[in-house]
Amino acid sequence: MEATLEQHLDDTMKNPAIVGVLCTDAQGHNLGCRGSLSDEHGGVVSVLAKQAASLTKDLTDSPTVCLESDSGNVLVRTHGTITVAVHKIVS
Amino acid sequence: MGCCYSSETEATEQDRSERKPLIPHPNPDSKPPNGTERSPPGLSSTRTDEQALLTSILNKTAMSIIDVSAADSQGMEQHEYMDKARQYSTKLAVLSSTLCQKKPAPLPSLTSQPHQVLASDLVPYSDVQQVSKIAAYAYSAISQIKLT
Repeated sequence: MEATLEQHLDDTMKNPAIVGVLCTDAQGHNLGCRGSLSDEHGGVVSVLAKQAASLTKDLTDSPTVCLESDSGNVLVRTHGTITVAVHKIVS
Repeated sequence: MGCCYSSETEATEQDRSERKPLIPHPNPDSKPPNGTERSPPGLSSTRTDEQALLTSILNKTAMSIIDVSAADSQGMEQHEYMDKARQYSTKLAVLSSTLCQKKPAPLPSLTSQPHQVLASDLVPYSDVQQVSKIAAYAYSAISQIKLT
């Protein structure tokens, strides 16, 4: 059943600039991950996205949280009931 | 095979004490004089037990209850009141100065060159769009997971 999701994560990792990807549900439970992002990041990722969403009153506007560092950026975005985090290195 | 028990052996004193019932049978010899006259003993005894229990609970509550409305309040004179107010405010001032000294732990520093980090390029919008697309695809992939 999860084959489509797994395939999607593999396709995402084919991008050379992307070194990690993580999918969680609203409670931070890990639905799938690759590369530099793993199980232990699920909780933090989901909470960051939720807190960022509470900053705006517009419910249709889903913010993208960007964590910038020297080695790369982690972008977190919620879509529906799931939250996706992508670790992208600076190319 | 061995023998676990044999009734042929005489019961020793120890055996008798072992076999003595723990709860003695109540009134084994008395018989009801007339079956119809007596009310069922079990029911009335439970009723009195319940009554006794309720009464004990009531007494316990009555003893431990503190009735604030019945307490006699004595009025305070004006100078006493002012005195007390001054005492409390000085105490508060002392305490608030000592409490303020507890500072929260400082956050760890992430970089030694904040100017460089802040002046660096913004996250490219194309990346944001890419992540948005990845999230949308992931959501549609997950919605295909169904219980059959």
